[in-house]
Amino acid sequence: MKSSLEHQLKALLPRGRVLISAAQLAGYGADGLGYKNHLPDAVVIPADAQELAGFMKGAKALEVPVVMRGAGTSLSGGPVAVQGGVIVHTSALKKIREINTEGFWCEVECGVTLNDLDATLKPHGVFYPPDPSSGPVCTLGGNVASNAGGAHCFRYGVTSNYVLGVEAVMLDGSVHCFGGPAGGRGPWREDWKRFMIGSEGTLAAFTRFWLRLLPLPEKVWTFRATYPDLKTTEAAIHALVAHSSYPAAIEMLDPRGVAMVESSQMACGLPEGSFMLLVEIDGPEALVNARVPSVVELLRRAGSNDVMFSDEEALRQKLWKARKAAGGLLGQLSPAYVVQDAVIPKRALAEVLQLVYDEADAANIRAVNVFHAGDGNLHPNFLFDSRVPGELEKVELISKRLMQRVIEVGGTLSGEHGIGDDKSAYMPLVFGPDSMRLQLSVPAAFNPAHQMNPLKVFENRHFIT
Amino acid sequence: MAPPLQSSGSPPNYFSNCTHCGFCLAVCPTYKLTGDENNSPRGRLRLWSEEAAGRLPQDEWTDFYTAECVGCLACETACPATVPYGEIFERIRHEHVASHRFTPKLQLRLAAVAVAHPALFNLALLPARLLRRVGLKVHRFLFPGSPPLLKSTAAYADELMLRHRPTGPRVAFLTGCLMEAMFREINFATVRVLIENNVQVIIPEGQGCCGAFQEHTGLDGVETLRERNRRAFGPLEVDAIVSNSSGCGYALGKTLQPDKPVRDVLGFLGELGPVRRQRACDDGTRVYVDLPCHLVHGQKAASIPAKVLDATGYRWELAPKAKDCCGSGGVYNIQKPENAQQILAEKSAFLNEAEGAPVILGTSNHVCMMQWHSAGATGLVTRPYEVSHIIQLLDPGEKFSIPSTSPQP
Repeated sequence: MKSSLEHQLKALLPRGRVLISAAQLAGYGADGLGYKNHLPDAVVIPADAQELAGFMKGAKALEVPVVMRGAGTSLSGGPVAVQGGVIVHTSALKKIREINTEGFWCEVECGVTLNDLDATLKPHGVFYPPDPSSGPVCTLGGNVASNAGGAHCFRYGVTSNYVLGVEAVMLDGSVHCFGGPAGGRGPWREDWKRFMIGSEGTLAAFTRFWLRLLPLPEKVWTFRATYPDLKTTEAAIHALVAHSSYPAAIEMLDPRGVAMVESSQMACGLPEGSFMLLVEIDGPEALVNARVPSVVELLRRAGSNDVMFSDEEALRQKLWKARKAAGGLLGQLSPAYVVQDAVIPKRALAEVLQLVYDEADAANIRAVNVFHAGDGNLHPNFLFDSRVPGELEKVELISKRLMQRVIEVGGTLSGEHGIGDDKSAYMPLVFGPDSMRLQLSVPAAFNPAHQMNPLKVFENRHFIT
Repeated sequence: MAPPLQSSGSPPNYFSNCTHCGFCLAVCPTYKLTGDENNSPRGRLRLWSEEAAGRLPQDEWTDFYTAECVGCLACETACPATVPYGEIFERIRHEHVASHRFTPKLQLRLAAVAVAHPALFNLALLPARLLRRVGLKVHRFLFPGSPPLLKSTAAYADELMLRHRPTGPRVAFLTGCLMEAMFREINFATVRVLIENNVQVIIPEGQGCCGAFQEHTGLDGVETLRERNRRAFGPLEVDAIVSNSSGCGYALGKTLQPDKPVRDVLGFLGELGPVRRQRACDDGTRVYVDLPCHLVHGQKAASIPAKVLDATGYRWELAPKAKDCCGSGGVYNIQKPENAQQILAEKSAFLNEAEGAPVILGTSNHVCMMQWHSAGATGLVTRPYEVSHIIQLLDPGEKFSIPSTSPQP
């Protein structure tokens, strides 16, 4: 069976690569959730978009699941072959094809990393706003598939605000452009690219995108303030959200995150037991400079006697240090963690955070919160030891209780990571049977047998041969 | 109350720090080259850990991907979870060589024996020094230079110490194996620069190869070499032990630190604020500085100090992607020449268009210098350029005196 699959794949990819040995599949068993391992039957690395389209044309006849993968940094189990099959790794599709500074758009292949795009755009004085923490390595393909966000999405909005067009290949090999450099619907009656963004690989393979760009802000100020308790922190967040300075980012690190940073080599002098807020404002220099005093005043009035701020690049990076280090430091504490991605109305912030603490403490599971406070996009990280039986189950139980409460307060499952395999079990908590049926009919319309990324988003979405 | 935030009490699993976040992919030269995740740090860690756990049988592809690693350690800098990739990789490579899963090329195995015997190695490479001196282009890696043929760096340093009697900090200098045997003019320049900056230079007897060669090839013998250097440098009362090659300095650091301060000579000079060379004001020379991996990712230095680069008197700037590997990887350009050449092709392309006349590619590791020189010898760079060690750009030449402004005790 294996040799027949290898044979078929090699015929479909005469120029690209086909990986089939056990030791070639091992590297593709997981995404950013390293503790979950599902081996594919094969991995293909198409040499270019044309070969990817050729592969898609023949993929149906393979009768195995097809799973798209960019850099594999996802935190939801999205680009992992949960039902086996072939992983299509888009690492060779990394051309930035055009930067149009008159029309403020660019055309990129799906395997371009955010870092490469940023570096290429910078000399042109433009930027692409979505900035997930995995920016140094994650690809545009994965960003579009999960509708990625990031710290600055409080003001700038998420990926869907910046996708003008998507070129996608269906399982029959047909290539379609939804939208295009001019945005809108492109050659379709309806705006089908909206189906594509956030579809988590369940509809089609993406090959390239047209993305909207913005002029680089003239001036950026970064503020860091610490608060003694959740109540004052919350007050500061509410005040910031409504403030005329219109912050680009409002980020928060809780006392457990602060303790983690301060006990590491990344320590930066945050007071013990404090909640840290990180705020950024940007825009035209004169305007932004004029807003600085009012932001400082706001942060102090909300209850902080520890406000630091700067417009100098090196100092700004220092202020960001704790926030940026937090994700990686989790790995130093524990290689296995589950990170939730719930979005809640901000008025419920204190209550839901307290639930996280209570549940985690009762189960003796470490929890660290570092998240996009402005958006109400929580990222409680539950750390556990995957070698200890029962630990993962405890974390899953806490997650489920958390999700139930999130739904009760009017929140939702995922802000930016996607549902993938990790959160599919919670879907019925949010969506009723009618809604589930309707939503499932979308992937079914594009690939009735659910050959594209099965068992993702919908728990029982099996590929049926 | 929540449990304390510290690593769990159970013994650490050798590979367990890796969360599989993927930050290493973006900086890994072989991942960038192949787009194959197995050919990345997190991929290799997965292969090794799965094999160690008995879930993956020994596989020739594991051997292949292991041998593909350049060992540049850029992944260590990128890793948020501080996985000690270099240490793990060295151990695995040594295991693969010991169990014949991987055999280094014959010339590397022979060289590994030779570097363990410095006197023999110096003698054996006398013809190579001679060829470099007369300017014969014998190999793509041999950059031009005029190495002294017979006088050793130790003898030279003694001579200059007597002549100039510096009074500043005392350093012990690692002269290295290949550096001394093949590129001795760089050692001589290092001695001159140090003494001109009022540094007292001693060259301990009995020192030998730092062990990097064995570490790069996975061959036996590294501990013997380390022990020899522990005996040579360990008892010395000096302000620093300096090396003029980032790779050797990194390896010696692993041997002697934290007991002894091992420093890259340029970093050490940066703190002193070295004597500045005067150049003609219309000098069109432009220096492009490439940062060796084992300086920035191994020794974790931020860069070559700007004070040192300014002191060369030339207009300089960092080469594009200065912290990315050039492909030399110790012995990688001999073990995996095609990969090394492809990595270099991308790194060196800028030189064809680079401003300046003449153009100098400056770095601080002789193996990187060899690799950079090969870019011209193999046609990747078609315009003339020189390769130089930064210390050579600070070199006062034979006739110098210690400036009277130097700090006196």
